[in-house]
Amino acid sequence: MRLFAAAAVVCGLLLPSSVVCAESDLSSTRVQLPNDFTPPQVFKNLNLLRNTNLEKGYVRETVDVVVENVDDKPQREYYLPFPADVFGKIGGLEVRDKKSPEKGRFDAEAIETDSSNDINYYVVQFPDALAPSSQITLRISYSVLSSLSPLPATIHQSEQQYLAYTFSAYALSAYPVDNQKTKLKLPSVNVPDYTTTTGLKSGQDPERQGSVYTYGPYETAKVAPGTQYPVTVRYEFTKPVLTAHLLERDIEVSHWGGNLATEERYWLRNNGSQLEKQFSRLEWTVSTYQGFPTSALRELTFPLKPGSVDPYFTDDIGNVSTSRFRPGKVPNRDGSLELRPRFPIFGGWNYSFRIGWNNDLSLFLRKAIGSSGTYILKVPFIEGPKNPEGIQYEKVVVRVILPEGARNVQWETINGATSNGLPSLSQIHSELNDHKTFMDTLGRTALTLTIENLSDEARSSELLISYDYTLWDGLRKPVTITAGLFTVFVALWFVGSLDVSIKKR
Amino acid sequence: MRILQFFLALACFFSAAFSTNPPTDKFEKYQLLSHSTSVKLDDSSYEDLVSKPRDYYSAIILTATEARYGCVICREFQSEWEIISKSWNEGSKPDDIRLLFGSLDFSMGKNTFQKLMLQTAPVVLVFPPTNGPHAKIDSAPLRFDFTGPVSAEQLYTWITRHLPAGPKPPLVRPTNYMRIVSAVTLAMGFITLVTVLSPYILPVIRNRNLWAALSLIAILLFTSGHMFNHIRKVPYVAGDGKGGISYFAGGFSNQFGMETQIIASIYGVLSFATIALAMKVPRIADKRTQQLVIIIWGTVMLGMYSFLLSVFKTKNGGYPFFLPPF
Amino acid sequence: MASPSLDVLLKGNSSRNVRGLLRIIILCTIAAAAVSSRLFSVIRFESIIHEFDPWFNFRATKYLVQHGFYKFWDWFDDRTWHPLGRVTGGTLYPGLMVTSGVIYHVLRFLTIPVDIRNICVLLAPGFSGLTALAMYLLTNEMSSSPSAGLLAAVFMGITPGYISRSVAGSYDNEAIAIFLLVFTFYLWIKAVKNGSIMWGTLAALFYGYMVSAWGGYVFITNLIPLHVFVLLCMGRYTSRVYISYTTWYALGTLASMQIPFVGFLPIRNSDHMSALGVFGLLQLVAFADFVRGFVPGKQFQKLLTAMILIVFGFALLGLVLLTVSGVIAPWSGRFYSLWDTGYAKVHIPIIASVSEHQPTAWPAFFFDLNFLIWLFPAGVYLCFRQLKDEHVFVVIYAVLSSYFAGVMVRLMLTLTPVVCVAAALAVSHILDTYLVASKPSEASETKPTADNNQSGLRSTRNPVVGVYSYLSKFFISAMMIVYLLLFVSHCTWVTSNAYSSPSVVLASRMPDGSQHIIDDYREAYYWLRQNTPANAKIMSWWDYGYQIGGMADRPTLVDNNTWNNTHIATVGKAMSSREEVSYPILRQHDVDYVLVVFGGLLGYSGDDINKFLWMVRIAEGIWPDEVKERDYFTARGEYRVDDEATPTMRNSLMYKMSYYNFNSLFGGGQAVDRVRGARLPAEGPQLTTVEEAFTSENWIIRIYKVKDLDNFGRDHSSAVAFDKGHKKKRATKKKGPRVLRTE
Repeated sequence: MRLFAAAAVVCGLLLPSSVVCAESDLSSTRVQLPNDFTPPQVFKNLNLLRNTNLEKGYVRETVDVVVENVDDKPQREYYLPFPADVFGKIGGLEVRDKKSPEKGRFDAEAIETDSSNDINYYVVQFPDALAPSSQITLRISYSVLSSLSPLPATIHQSEQQYLAYTFSAYALSAYPVDNQKTKLKLPSVNVPDYTTTTGLKSGQDPERQGSVYTYGPYETAKVAPGTQYPVTVRYEFTKPVLTAHLLERDIEVSHWGGNLATEERYWLRNNGSQLEKQFSRLEWTVSTYQGFPTSALRELTFPLKPGSVDPYFTDDIGNVSTSRFRPGKVPNRDGSLELRPRFPIFGGWNYSFRIGWNNDLSLFLRKAIGSSGTYILKVPFIEGPKNPEGIQYEKVVVRVILPEGARNVQWETINGATSNGLPSLSQIHSELNDHKTFMDTLGRTALTLTIENLSDEARSSELLISYDYTLWDGLRKPVTITAGLFTVFVALWFVGSLDVSIKKR
Repeated sequence: MRILQFFLALACFFSAAFSTNPPTDKFEKYQLLSHSTSVKLDDSSYEDLVSKPRDYYSAIILTATEARYGCVICREFQSEWEIISKSWNEGSKPDDIRLLFGSLDFSMGKNTFQKLMLQTAPVVLVFPPTNGPHAKIDSAPLRFDFTGPVSAEQLYTWITRHLPAGPKPPLVRPTNYMRIVSAVTLAMGFITLVTVLSPYILPVIRNRNLWAALSLIAILLFTSGHMFNHIRKVPYVAGDGKGGISYFAGGFSNQFGMETQIIASIYGVLSFATIALAMKVPRIADKRTQQLVIIIWGTVMLGMYSFLLSVFKTKNGGYPFFLPPF
Repeated sequence: MASPSLDVLLKGNSSRNVRGLLRIIILCTIAAAAVSSRLFSVIRFESIIHEFDPWFNFRATKYLVQHGFYKFWDWFDDRTWHPLGRVTGGTLYPGLMVTSGVIYHVLRFLTIPVDIRNICVLLAPGFSGLTALAMYLLTNEMSSSPSAGLLAAVFMGITPGYISRSVAGSYDNEAIAIFLLVFTFYLWIKAVKNGSIMWGTLAALFYGYMVSAWGGYVFITNLIPLHVFVLLCMGRYTSRVYISYTTWYALGTLASMQIPFVGFLPIRNSDHMSALGVFGLLQLVAFADFVRGFVPGKQFQKLLTAMILIVFGFALLGLVLLTVSGVIAPWSGRFYSLWDTGYAKVHIPIIASVSEHQPTAWPAFFFDLNFLIWLFPAGVYLCFRQLKDEHVFVVIYAVLSSYFAGVMVRLMLTLTPVVCVAAALAVSHILDTYLVASKPSEASETKPTADNNQSGLRSTRNPVVGVYSYLSKFFISAMMIVYLLLFVSHCTWVTSNAYSSPSVVLASRMPDGSQHIIDDYREAYYWLRQNTPANAKIMSWWDYGYQIGGMADRPTLVDNNTWNNTHIATVGKAMSSREEVSYPILRQHDVDYVLVVFGGLLGYSGDDINKFLWMVRIAEGIWPDEVKERDYFTARGEYRVDDEATPTMRNSLMYKMSYYNFNSLFGGGQAVDRVRGARLPAEGPQLTTVEEAFTSENWIIRIYKVKDLDNFGRDHSSAVAFDKGHKKKRATKKKGPRVLRTE
């Protein structure tokens, strides 16, 4: 614990502006708002285009909005409203300037209001204030988790599965919107029923081409902000709705072994519609044999980094023999680990398992130039299965276990011109603690990062960690072990040379 | 005990006196007629006993005890039957269950046997009452067939299971004093014999070779699966299909009596060869004979062992190892 | 094992350290060989707990590690034997779990992150290495030749008779018990030899450990007194015997009474009475010996002897009376069935039903201890040459244990050590005789030999000369070497083929010869673990109770600790009677799922239909009128599952659950049961009160859910008929477009 505090202090001192300290806890930065809070009406949305993508097991929304400052002084705080029930399911929210995405993401923070409130806000900080009556085009992208409900809730084993999604035809905004449009991208053309609006616009609404449904455009300059018009779409989705309500990911760095060991523990659940009757092995055999699409999970494919070796796939009761591994090739061909769970996972069924593999450390770690004993580690933030139906993580705990005695730990995530699926750093909770294993004396430094509501969009994201590690730290363990063995031998010799016999011999 | 029976009798008598249904005194009649054993029946009395209406249970054994019928079980079981009936009649029985024990011998009741179309004896029939507190709907008798020898306990539990619930008198076997006395006397005699003959016996008992031989024999017996024969009652030998005799049973986990003896002898020879090579040979003073003996025992050992392996191969197919010559 | 290795250094004419060092190296190699030869299953499959009982031990160990020792000590397990529960803490032998728990905590203290499962899996091999060492020590006490001990260690290390119970993953009591057995015997021999209280105490301590580890401790409890008794009868009473035995008995009994499961048995049970009796006798003899020292005079001594005999006789009589009057419990069933071999079959069908309680055929002996089996008598004979106290011990041990091994297959385990000792004696004697380079000098013929006594064996009358010709030396030693090599290859073959499959995972060969793993058990168990409520009651035959408890982590009705015959019979009745009869039973024991094992598709012979007769028999033992074994055999007395199966058989729940839906797997063709090789009836059985919940990939495990009471209060058969009648209608209704209200 003392080490923890020390590290905190050190980090606090040596902090470059670009790097967020491991100790920066977002709860401090949050602002408490009164109940009847309404954001200052300083902006106006000229045009709003919302793309809702339903091809995967969760909702991915991208909103392009042209914002104009209608106030007479420059403003930099833009409020994003969400209904309270959705607010907790928003994941990987990212706001950029659409014109110049390479400038990176704006910082967006969740604002705590008490739960009785039915609208909650994210507040977006513009890097430089928006001058009066000037415009900026924001691209707001986020994913809404577990908001698709199977309908009917129970189906027969070999039936098709339908999902229903309910949203508002009017995009929710804190500011008046002049005109707006919503595009739905559905996974299939089989859409048994969807709401047709009346009196919102002239002509039939929505318009459809193929699997794209367009609600709007609507002139909503007159409509008060916050007005909702609920709309429901029900479409076929005969794929599993994969949800990991917990993913624990350990990355262990070993300088001695020159090895980077990764282990991931999944608690999976299929949120699709449940079985109407019991499971029938006979039908399952038949349908697998004929390769029908099914709402059950048959197989998972994990692309692994090039050079990943000796993978394993186990669960609570031992090794699962039904897995195949295709090794990749350094530098660029990924390996792939194909897992078949012990049993098909139908709607409402759970399956928890763990996988792990090793990598050559040299591909991920390098010494910082010019500095003695400062190392920089670059690892993927999450990996995980890659499949058309996608996967959503309700909670992800990434733990990077650095070698014993690593000091001065700092981390950041890499932001490119495009979204990396992660929320802004203030949404990532991080802490440092000890981890004792393999005859450690003072324990290894472990950096634990916790995120809620991730989706497989975040596969591309990467994590940078820098830490100090001296030669003596490396030598500590062998010295300790040698000393220990020596003591044992001495003790043995001493005991052996004792004479405990009563009578003289 | 006696008093209870007396009162019982009294009660029965009164009930007999004031009630007019014949079965009661029928029961009484047979009850008195059977002085604490089973009633000896013939055709007529049997008919009378089992004729409806009856308000008592009656357990009747149909048997053929006479020697000319050559029914061993019948004769063996008769005493057991008497034990059962005796311990019921004399035991403290619940006075609401009225049970009669009868035995009908084939010589007395040929017609009954024919009527019941009985091929085998003995057979025990239990007739439930047709009226009274424990009356059963179907008056058909329960039948107990003898498959092999049956002890009194087994049959008694079977009978009591079909009687209405409640305390039943326990089954008491008369203690056989004769046997005890004889056992004691025998023991005494043996002890005295030992004490008298001790000067002659002691050297024999103290003889190491004797004990060695005994223990070796025991070990050879047990390790060659003799207990298996004893428990599983395996045949001594079996003929193969072609009229010959197959000494070795097929299959890993079964064997013949003779087979085990062969194996035991093989083990014996092998271990004796070992003993000879280990202890006898180095004590032979003459070079030539020693050489000869060593060669002989060595070859014997080799041959026997290879034969053993080949036998084992036949028992356990797919056993890869062998030794020349077999 | 630091102290024995030091001990080795100090023992046996090796003041020159080279030999001692060499010996240590050899022993370490032997131990390594013993360990590595048990790792086949880990290499072929994985580090997994085997068979049935180990799963309970594993579960108990996990409980111990999680909740600590005291919670474990009074552990009431309500997840087994529902609804009775089991006082697990008081009804098990904790030695095994505590041992691995201690190892676990030590490793944790050294911050070595090892999974408790791996400790449990590798415990047996590790201890087999120790057993080899203990065997070396024991045999060294028997013979002067240093080679005997090493040979015995090798034999013990790799002989299949011991490997069969100690491969990696067979985490059972025997895993450590055999080491304790051998080591206790070694300490006992030590104690008797130099009559020291220290050795006696050590023997008592390890005896206590043995008691805490295995029910087979009764073997020691009776063998050691027998040894002493025989010594007394041979007139070999010495103060050494007195000291060692009294020390051992007093301390050992106290130690054994500390185990809750044993409790007061040592003074209340006939199994232990021989030890007590010998203890008393020993006191008498000691007293007589003491008195004799003072008063000479033959008459008086005769009187004394007579008195002793009489007192002993009376004591015996009293013992018998106590037993009859019931103060002392009679022989426990399992132990008694060793003497009265017909007993178990009649009175304890559950014991008789276990395969490892069957008598042993001779191939099993040869299979388990290849050529040791015929070296064994020779070695015993050698023991008679110089009949010291320890040799008497070996002889008694040999005779007794060979009898036991003959009666019960699993007791081969107690036979193995003495076989190794005796065989090692014989082989080492031969090698010592024939591997001598020096020719015997002519003078040596006349020198008198040590073991030339008149009471000796006939074969040892003449003096030892030695072997003359190199040819014969070479011949015999070469032969011996060949046999030894054969023995090693035999052991390896047997271990890899017979004793290395964890019956949880089955292996089969693909057409191309590659290994294909059939993992149905774990598939079904894991399904239960993941997708059923945490306290869903699973009913299965008792063989699978421990596995369900361990892998599926769900409450069971019966399991392999068969302490309640009636409960097992209840399950047997539910399995073997008609649905209408079994459904109330299932409801009364609030069973949620029923699990059956069915090998018909794969040809897996160890399935429930083959065990079915035992269920029937055990049920018949309690309900003779409702379940009758006869009804399950055809008129010609055959046990069949096809068209000619008896109606009772076909209507039994077990039959229905095994073959439900099996026909439709074969499409139009006729279904074939690959185990029984039977063609099944054209139309399969119909189930009304239970419904198929899960079936594993190869149909080995089938799980059925017990239906709840019908909502309309109908009985299930009519309800099912009703549903069948209306299925089409509902299906058509579903076709219609579903209207969604959205305003």
